[in-house]
Amino acid sequence: MDYLLSLVVSGVVIGSLYGMIAMGFAMIYRATGLVNFAQGEVMMLTAYIAYSFQVDLGLGFAAAVVATLVSAVVIGILLERIFIRPMLGEPVFSRVLVTIGLAVVIRSLVIMAWGAEAQPFPAPFAGNVVRIGSIAVYASQLFVVVTLVVLGVASWLFFKFTRFGIAMRATANRESTALLMGINVVRLYSMAWGMSAFFAAFAGLSFCLMFSVEPDMSHMGLRAFPASILGGLDSVTGSSMAGVIIGVVENLAGGYLGRGLKEIAGFILIVVVLMVRPYGLFGQREIERV
Amino acid sequence: MLAIANLQVIYDDAIEAVRDVSLSVEKGRIVALLGSNGAGKSTILKALSGVLYSEHGEIRSGSILYDGEDCTNQPPFQIVRKGLIQVPEGRQLFDQLTVEENLIVGGYSGSWRKTRAHLADVYDLFPEIKPHRNRISGYLSGGQQQMVAVGRALMGEPRMLLLDEPSLGLAPLVIKQIFEKIDHLRKELGLSVLLVEQNARLALSIADYGYIVERGRVVLDGAADRLLANDDVREFYLGIQREGERRSMRDVKHYKRRKRWLL
Repeated sequence: MDYLLSLVVSGVVIGSLYGMIAMGFAMIYRATGLVNFAQGEVMMLTAYIAYSFQVDLGLGFAAAVVATLVSAVVIGILLERIFIRPMLGEPVFSRVLVTIGLAVVIRSLVIMAWGAEAQPFPAPFAGNVVRIGSIAVYASQLFVVVTLVVLGVASWLFFKFTRFGIAMRATANRESTALLMGINVVRLYSMAWGMSAFFAAFAGLSFCLMFSVEPDMSHMGLRAFPASILGGLDSVTGSSMAGVIIGVVENLAGGYLGRGLKEIAGFILIVVVLMVRPYGLFGQREIERV
Repeated sequence: MLAIANLQVIYDDAIEAVRDVSLSVEKGRIVALLGSNGAGKSTILKALSGVLYSEHGEIRSGSILYDGEDCTNQPPFQIVRKGLIQVPEGRQLFDQLTVEENLIVGGYSGSWRKTRAHLADVYDLFPEIKPHRNRISGYLSGGQQQMVAVGRALMGEPRMLLLDEPSLGLAPLVIKQIFEKIDHLRKELGLSVLLVEQNARLALSIADYGYIVERGRVVLDGAADRLLANDDVREFYLGIQREGERRSMRDVKHYKRRKRWLL
């Protein structure tokens, strides 16, 4: 029983991290119809920035978090402005390839600037142990789960009740009409990139708190991609929940069925789910009137 | 209020969809733009709304003056802010959003407070859609969807409405109802309307003035009652046989007879 419980708990923790990354994928896909394969790299970049804010500039933890979030949004907007906007109107395939190129460039630049070795991330509380009933978790793990819940709820409220959020859904639904309604679609795209980077920054911080700052963390981007698909690529809130599901399934498969299955369990799950619900668990289905 | 002069629109650098079109709409008037499929009517509206670029179209020459201001090639959101708002062909609702969300998006360029007030106005105007406000709009009937589409445009405080085939695929009773509302808005708010229609009889029954477009050109224009009385319009657009004439083979094979305005 304890074994099961600890598998589930660590699954929820790692799944929360997947969820945050997947939310970033979904944010950009929902608004612009593009999969940003550089999501993991953006996360890595923001993590290194957070590291520098603390170690090189000597900011306190809270100040570093705020500064990181702000710079993440700026980075997201700049990436869109410099690399993606000139590609507007080009085929989707070319635009997706730009994001893959972006991923390679960011990874290389980060290694050039900060080096390839893993560095310990200074976190004041991360090592504290919190007891919840019979299970003990690190404070950093609790931080990750709570952050995901807050982000998930916030994104749900944002898309449901704010005018900008509704406009974003409208643009994803029918862009040509969104133009006719006076939505500045170009600005909306850049906001989507900014918000996606905001999610990436939370993911980066979470990763650092649990592990360390290392270039390999960008691989988490692709590990989290199944969560995006499972949740429905266009559902930000759904992606956050799907991340947790993938995390738990992976951990259970790894714990009970053998280590090799851990890596592929998530993918098997999405194959099965997509056969039943092709638009993902929380995705929008096309409405067809006859 | 709106004056288009010598407008030329080209798609993909190759296809000339609109050629040398000039037309004007005065304040508080309903002007109909008539013509068959592919005549270029919708293209003219897209040029007005500034959304040609999304279909690889561009305005090659000519000008669009709205309220004395040049709005040729302005970004669409600025044109909407000026109060020139389009109801696109086939309604084009955000079908995954609820009715109310559709309306809220329509008021996007104004403030939240105005949006709230306009929501009430639209529900007053179209009481039929109020019970469905929280339903996904894609599941509404065609007539209700058209009401949402018109209501959505009204949310943006239009001073001129561009209506692209509002009667498309709707029952005659619903069409009548929607046209009555539009006429009412014109009288109440002094709204100007540029109405694109294939159904000429319907359009001319409400419009003050009409333009007939064929193959990208304006071939005939005049006051609505004059157009209704025009022999060619009666024959080709209203399908009315001339009175007193004997039906000879020549009339039956009327495709042989050329329209006079093409001579």
